[in-house]
Amino acid sequence: MIQVSELSKTFHDRKKGDIPAVRGVSFTARPGQVFGLLGRNGAGKTTTLRMLATILVPTSGTATVAGFDIVQKPAEVRRRIGYLSGDTKLYDRLTGKELLQYFGALAGMTKGAIAARMTELTEPFGLADLLDVRIGRMSTGMKQRVSIARVVFHDPEVLIFDEPTAGLDVIGARNVLRLIQDLKGKGRTVIFSTHIMTEAERICDEIGIIEEGRLLTDGSLESVRSRSATRSLEDVFVDVVGATAAAEERR
Amino acid sequence: MTSKTLAVYRKEIIDALRDGRSLFAIFVFPFILYPAMMGFMSWIQNKNTEDARALSLRIGMVGEAQIPGLADSLRAVRGVEAISLPAAPVRLEGANVDAVLEVPDGIAARVAAGDSAKVQLVYKESENRSSQAAERLEPVLDQVRRALTVDWARSLGANAQAPPAFTVEKRDVSSKDEMGRFFAALLIPYLLVFLVAAGSMHMAVDATTGEKERSTLETILATAATRGELVLGKTMAVLTASLTGALTGITGLFLTFNVIAPLIPGAERQSMQFVVGPDKAVLLLLTMIPAAIFISATLVAIGCFARGMREGQAYASYFYMATIFLGLGSFGQQSPPPSRFFIPVLNTALLQREILTDTVNSLHALTAVGTSCALAAIMLVVAVRLFSNESVLFRT
Repeated sequence: MIQVSELSKTFHDRKKGDIPAVRGVSFTARPGQVFGLLGRNGAGKTTTLRMLATILVPTSGTATVAGFDIVQKPAEVRRRIGYLSGDTKLYDRLTGKELLQYFGALAGMTKGAIAARMTELTEPFGLADLLDVRIGRMSTGMKQRVSIARVVFHDPEVLIFDEPTAGLDVIGARNVLRLIQDLKGKGRTVIFSTHIMTEAERICDEIGIIEEGRLLTDGSLESVRSRSATRSLEDVFVDVVGATAAAEERR
Repeated sequence: MTSKTLAVYRKEIIDALRDGRSLFAIFVFPFILYPAMMGFMSWIQNKNTEDARALSLRIGMVGEAQIPGLADSLRAVRGVEAISLPAAPVRLEGANVDAVLEVPDGIAARVAAGDSAKVQLVYKESENRSSQAAERLEPVLDQVRRALTVDWARSLGANAQAPPAFTVEKRDVSSKDEMGRFFAALLIPYLLVFLVAAGSMHMAVDATTGEKERSTLETILATAATRGELVLGKTMAVLTASLTGALTGITGLFLTFNVIAPLIPGAERQSMQFVVGPDKAVLLLLTMIPAAIFISATLVAIGCFARGMREGQAYASYFYMATIFLGLGSFGQQSPPPSRFFIPVLNTALLQREILTDTVNSLHALTAVGTSCALAAIMLVVAVRLFSNESVLFRT
C-alpha cells in the first residue's frame, strides 16, 4: 500500500528562487489495484513518484510505502519497490544476464535466489535469447523486455511506473500495460503516471489528476467520471485541468 | 564491505573491461607509448647529430697571427671555413660568419708580463649553426690555452718547446645498473602518480557522470543499495583501474629500457638496467594505495558533482594536471623539508623516492601515509555526500 499525506516538494533555483513542484498531495494506492497519476507535462507527476521511490526527499509531508515511511526508512522502502521510468536506460556494455544479476545483487538477493529467479522469469519474459546478448546490441523491444524483467526481478510489493510507455511503439506499450495488469492480478500495489488517458482508462482502478503540483481530484474511475457531466476520461481531465488553467489565467 | 558494494564493483569492472578506450589506455597504451617515444626520440637525436655534422660553418678570426699555428688549426677542423677579419664585427650576421675567435692585440706581451689575457669565442647559443661552431671549436680553444701557457712559461725562462698534451675531462663511470637506479628514483615516483591519475580519470567520470548522461542513475538510486555502498563500489573499481594502469605503465617502461631500447638502432646508449627489487616494488605499491584512493575518490566526487560528461572530463582534467604538477615537485628535491610530506600526491612521490634511494625517514613515511589516508577518507565522505545530495545529482 502507498499512503501519501500532504506531500510537498520545492526546488530552489538561484535565479528563479523557490519553485514549488508538488504542493500538499495526498492519496492512497491499495494492493491489487492500479493507481493512475494523470497530469500534463510538468504537472508534478515525476517529482511525486521520485519522492515515493526515495530518489528525492520531500520538503514537507510524508508517505508510507509498504508500511515504511519514505523519510524515516528510505532503505526499507527501496527494498520493497520496483521503479521504472520511461526515461531510464540500461547499461549497454552488460549482457541481459549480467544486468539482472547486478540489480538482483543490489536488491540484496543471494546468488542462489538470483539464479532461481532468472530461471523463473526466462519463459514469461522471453529472456532466453537475450541473456547472453549485450544490451547495446539489442533492439528497442528486446531492451524493453530486459527492462521490465529488471523491475520485477526482486519481486517487489510496490511498483512505481513513471510514464513507462513513453517512446514505445504500440506493441511495446501494450506489453507494459499487460505487465501492469499481471502485477495487479498478483496483488501488488501499482502506481502509474501517464498523460495518455486511454491507457489510464484501460488499466487504472483509481486515478488522481495533478496540475501545477496540486492533486485536483482523485478516486475511482467511476466516481471521478460521475463528478463531471462527460463520460470520457479525457473530457473529465480537460474539464478539471482546464478549469484550473482558466482560473490561473484569470489571476 | 557489503555484497551490494561488491556487486557495484563487479559491474563497473565488467563495464570498464568492455570499454575499448579504458582497455586501450590501461593495457595497450603503455606498451606502445614508451617504445614509440624512445624510438622517436632516438631517431630525432640521431638525425640532429647527422645534420649537425653535415653543416659547413664559417668562422671569423681576429688577431689569429699572434698565436702561431692557430689559423691552421682552425682550418683543419672538419667542415669549417676559417676567414681572417680585420676587426671584430658588431654583428655576426654582418660579417657573414657563424662565430668569431678574437685574440686581443698585444697578447704575447701581456702573457709575458704575467697579466691576464682573454681570448674570446663569440657565438650565439640561440642559433643552431652558431652553437654548432662553438662545439666544434672546443678542441681548438684547448689548444689556445696550452699555447698561451707555453708562451708564459718561456717568458719565465722555461725550456718549453711544445704544448704538452694534457687534457681535463669528465668521465662518467656509472654502470648501466647505477644509472638505472638513479633514473628509477627520479622517474618512478612521478610516473606512478601520473599513471594512477591517468588510469582512473576516464573510468571515474564514466562511472558517475556517465550514469547521469546515460539516464541509468535513477535505476540504481531506487535500489536497496545505500548511496555509500554505491559510491564505495564505484571508487573501488576506479582504484583497481588506476593501480592496474600504474602497474602496466611501469611494466611498459621496464620493457622499454631493458628489452626494447637495446634493439633500437641509436637508442642503445639510452638502455639501462631499470631494475627495482621485489621488496621495493611491494613497498612502492603499498605506499601508492592511500594516494591512489585519494585520487580515485576525488575523481569520483568530481564525477558526482559534474552535470555532464563534458563538464566532468573538464574538471577531471584540471585535477589530473594538478596531480602531475604535484608529482613534478618531487624532481630535484634531495632533502625536502618535513612540511612537504603533508602535501597530497607530492608526499607519496617524495616517500617513494626515499624508498628507491634507501633513505627512508620513518617520520616522513608516517606523515606521508597518514596524510594520504586521512585525505582519502575525507574525499570518500565528500563523494558520498555529493552522491546523496539531490540538488547536485539532479542539477541542470
